[in-house]
Amino acid sequence: MRWLALIWKSLMRSKRRTLLIVGSLILSVFTVAVLQSLLTTLNAVTNNPNSSNRLVVRHKSGLTQMLPRSYEAYLRQQSEVETVCALQWFGGYYQDPRNFFANFASDETTLFQTFREEFGAAGISEAQIKDYLRDGAGCIVGESLAKKNGWKVGDVVPLTGTIFPINPRLTIRLIYKSPKPSDENVLHFHYKVLEEGVPRMKGLVGSFWVRTHRPEDIPRFIERVDRHYANSAYETLTETENAFNLAFVKMLGNIGAIIQGITAAVVVAILIVTGNTMATAIRERTTEIAVFRAMGFSAGRVLGLLLFEGVLLVGVGGCLGVLVANLAAGAVRASLGMAMPFFADFAILPDTVLACLAGAMAIGLLATFIPAYAATRRPITEGLRAVG
Amino acid sequence: MILGLLLSAPFLAYLAWLIWALVAYPIPLGYNLRSLWQRKLSSFSTAAAIALVVGIFVVVLSLAQGLSVAFVSSGRPDQALVLRPNARFELNSSIERDRMRILKVHPLLKRDAEGPMASAEVVVVKLFPMADGTDTNVTVRGLEARGITLRPQVRLVQGRWFRPGLSEVVVPRKMQGRFPSLELGRNLRMGGRDWQIVGTFDAGGASYESEVWSNVNDVMQAFRRESYSAMLARLESPERVEGFLKAVEDDKRLKLEVIRETDYFKELTKAGDPIKILGNLITLILTGAAIFAAMNTMYAAVAGRTKEIGTLRALGFRQREILASFQWESIFLCLTGGLLGSGLALFANGIQTGTTSFETFSDVSFAFTITPGLMAQGVAFSLVMGLLGGFLPAWRASRIPLTEAMKGG
Repeated sequence: MRWLALIWKSLMRSKRRTLLIVGSLILSVFTVAVLQSLLTTLNAVTNNPNSSNRLVVRHKSGLTQMLPRSYEAYLRQQSEVETVCALQWFGGYYQDPRNFFANFASDETTLFQTFREEFGAAGISEAQIKDYLRDGAGCIVGESLAKKNGWKVGDVVPLTGTIFPINPRLTIRLIYKSPKPSDENVLHFHYKVLEEGVPRMKGLVGSFWVRTHRPEDIPRFIERVDRHYANSAYETLTETENAFNLAFVKMLGNIGAIIQGITAAVVVAILIVTGNTMATAIRERTTEIAVFRAMGFSAGRVLGLLLFEGVLLVGVGGCLGVLVANLAAGAVRASLGMAMPFFADFAILPDTVLACLAGAMAIGLLATFIPAYAATRRPITEGLRAVG
Repeated sequence: MILGLLLSAPFLAYLAWLIWALVAYPIPLGYNLRSLWQRKLSSFSTAAAIALVVGIFVVVLSLAQGLSVAFVSSGRPDQALVLRPNARFELNSSIERDRMRILKVHPLLKRDAEGPMASAEVVVVKLFPMADGTDTNVTVRGLEARGITLRPQVRLVQGRWFRPGLSEVVVPRKMQGRFPSLELGRNLRMGGRDWQIVGTFDAGGASYESEVWSNVNDVMQAFRRESYSAMLARLESPERVEGFLKAVEDDKRLKLEVIRETDYFKELTKAGDPIKILGNLITLILTGAAIFAAMNTMYAAVAGRTKEIGTLRALGFRQREILASFQWESIFLCLTGGLLGSGLALFANGIQTGTTSFETFSDVSFAFTITPGLMAQGVAFSLVMGLLGGFLPAWRASRIPLTEAMKGG
């Protein structure tokens, strides 16, 4: 504590310099924190603990090919299976095509059981579910989606189909809450609406979402299903839900490499800039340091003081940068989350905060060490003579 | 645009004055440059930090440009695409055979010796294995021989075009690096049958370089499609597109939508918007950080030379000459960084990458292309940093009172 006043004085020696370097650090750490959080958000999509029991069965050729709905009977018969939900991406929009949200035609009878974690969080009453099951033109929506559009239970939502040539008018029967924001940006409606409205979809569906009893059953099940339908007219591709999502994350391209590249460049830049600033600050104090040494401060202590000063400087900048990033997280969620559904879950996690702060401290230490070490090695007599 | 001009007007005026000062005043520029050299380590480290930021700037610019080129260079103003209403994209659209029969002989279409210039096409998405072992969605386009002539930017590089009925495909040369299975002469498994790769093509950066092409009927059979996806047609002139649009949309038998080809691709470009916005934000923020760093260096440079500045003033140099000369010092410092950074960005040149359009659910390949234009933008960007970062320190240098400067330690 006794030294803190001294270090504070040194930092305040040139207020402008300290302010500028802290400003520079805030902006850099902010950038790194946001970029790294984008990456962790993407990784979380493919490591969803809720989906460890779930699998997706779809056509081997790709997303645009359909499977017969009759496959459901075979899937259900397998001993590992708890429930199967037929699900089709509808790709409709409400009022404006830019107003993107996920909407599915799904089997209403098994939907709630298959996606228990997503729907079960905040007790939906049986009566509400019954309301949805009874109304063939009903739909259910997540709370954040309902809030954004100002929808209430009982409102009619006209969807415009893009992939399918129908524009269903759906009545909201249930608004649900979900632990993850991205799961609340979703609308489901009865599969029959699609099957009866679009002749070419009769008896077909894009995918089956299968819930198994235990995660250990999954590999055996995948193998059996794909073998069963091999060389048939509709071959299947079965994979875990996480693997299925990974394909979508990969669609962004090697965004990971780009983010790590930018992060590395920013870290090197901060290191250089901080080192330069600390070198200037220490050079200015050559005489002062010599006086300290002459008064009996050991070289080690002076070095320690200087290092502490550097770490404090970068630490303050880092903390503020992370703080600003946290404040901006909401804005990122709102803007990027609209464009790409994964980023609706964007958050600066404690791990990222800690990593950023630890990284900043390390940079401070490293950047200060070289000029500080050189300064303490300098003979006292030479330092006293120096003209600062 | 006007706002941008208004904002940059004082900026440009100041720059013009600086250039004029270079000629009109005997500013001690040589002295400033030697001072930069005097403080080698400090100058170099600042330049290096600026180089990194400029490098990021240029790479992000090339990313954004690569995405735009992939879509924009694909369309022609005298061509139109016919889609199902509200489909917005070829992948979502479907046109039944009987409607296609009416469409293909539409009286407004341009004709040549072989008849109306129109191609009925089908677009599907198929998973393809990439070099890293994972799969990604790739667009497979089935088209008629006419479809190739309607896209003059597409050029055969190797082999020959596919022939109908033989399950043959032609693949883009650019995709071959990222998708090892797309080798000339090899067979491809698709829709339950083998397809031979008989040629490779190049499309001058257009989005077709992310598609595998084959005959329309072959693709429809293999993927069990009963309807086409869309029709691409050429009209006599760009002005005729409006008339064709009205005629098709008013035709009760058709109930279809027509989009000018250039507008269609403009719409597709928006897929790259989030990446562009994110990239621009990152560079903007990092620029702020770099300007702060440059300011710090210049302030330190000015503070360490109070006595020298005093001497200059005593020699008869005026305040504005000192301002100009220190401003130039900062500009030189940052320009060095800018040149280094633009050079650094060249390392990213030619790297093939891909992203997926979330609208069409399929892969778009493009290469980072660091053009001289982009590098020049990077250098110009560093000039702006030098101006902004150096102004306050230079101003301060010019305002140091003579008496104090002479005294200064």
